[in-house]
Amino acid sequence: MANATQKSPLKIIVATVVILAAVAYLAFTGNSDNKQYYVTIGELQGMGNKAYVRHLRVAGNVAPGSIHREGTYVDFDLLEQGRKLSVSYKGVEPPPDTFKDDSQALAVGTYGKDGVFHATQLQAKCASKYAPAAPAANATATTASALPATR
Amino acid sequence: MEQRTQSLRNVAWLWFGIMVAVLVMGFREAIFLTPKDAAQGDAGRIFYYHVPIAMLSLLFPYINFFASLTFLYWRRRDPLKALTADALALTAAEVTVVYASVCLLTGMLWGRATWGIWWTWDPRLTSMLLLWLLYVSYLTLRRFSSTGQSHTLAAVLSVFAAVDVPIVYMSIRWWRTQHPAPVFGGGPDSGIDPSMLPAFFWNLAGWAMWGICMMVFRFALERRRQLAEQEEALQAIEASLEIPQ
Repeated sequence: MANATQKSPLKIIVATVVILAAVAYLAFTGNSDNKQYYVTIGELQGMGNKAYVRHLRVAGNVAPGSIHREGTYVDFDLLEQGRKLSVSYKGVEPPPDTFKDDSQALAVGTYGKDGVFHATQLQAKCASKYAPAAPAANATATTASALPATR
Repeated sequence: MEQRTQSLRNVAWLWFGIMVAVLVMGFREAIFLTPKDAAQGDAGRIFYYHVPIAMLSLLFPYINFFASLTFLYWRRRDPLKALTADALALTAAEVTVVYASVCLLTGMLWGRATWGIWWTWDPRLTSMLLLWLLYVSYLTLRRFSSTGQSHTLAAVLSVFAAVDVPIVYMSIRWWRTQHPAPVFGGGPDSGIDPSMLPAFFWNLAGWAMWGICMMVFRFALERRRQLAEQEEALQAIEASLEIPQ
């Protein structure tokens, strides 16, 4: 029994170091590669030919006035820091109610050679900002301004 | 002793009464008094339930973690104290599973309403599901392992499970997620309007009181079970000593 208690601290230290190293590795490599949950429009346009073959999720703000609905299909533009991406959504489900002008959205699908992103799924992304609707005069000031900068 | 039990019982009932009152206040604030969110409308009111419960579901695992460490430390040095720590660890793990389940379920309902999807494998949701699975496996291990070492094994598992807690917490800071970035202490485009804070804090207080209430009752129950088990073992030993005569 005494032997077991003498051996254990080293094992515990080794296990702790391995786990902490693994967590740190995940945390610091996650930012650099393209295995992120979504890509920005800038990254999509900078991917070159790889952009056309991958199944991707792109994030951006819905350009005001660009939404054109046809049944459950929607055509719209995503904006991100001055870059624009046209999206054509052809899915079976209508987008959620939170999908509207200036809202953050994620489009899942493939990037076409025609420069249009063909989405099969639309997901709204909520801002982490909670405020009651402002009185009419301020209404336009409360809309989402931009995606959080690349994290 | 009888006197002490009676006054403890009174404190417990008082606690329970205040807890119900606080939860009623929280419900009234969250559903009726607070203005609805500009972007999400009435669906955004689930914020006052999902967020406090999610915060608490990352707090109880630490009670489990420290109780498990204490159990491992006392296991050979002072087995009776170790049993107390073990009861606390079990209690905290059960409450963790309750809170994590509510967090996942309210999150799925909310996600369906505002994102358009029930579930997605982003880092936050995945790490939270992992947390739930880890504590479910902790409880399963305790219940079904028959080796006699199950308390020790469970305590070791608990130490490893605790590693996931900071990962869940940091996931929305480290990685891009479907889940929103932190509302409290987040970036420039985050935060909550002061008019919404009362609903949030009433619910945080109420659900924290609920968790403590469950912890205390469950702990008392587990201690009684342990004492009854000891009593039984003692009687069995005494009985076996009497047989030869």
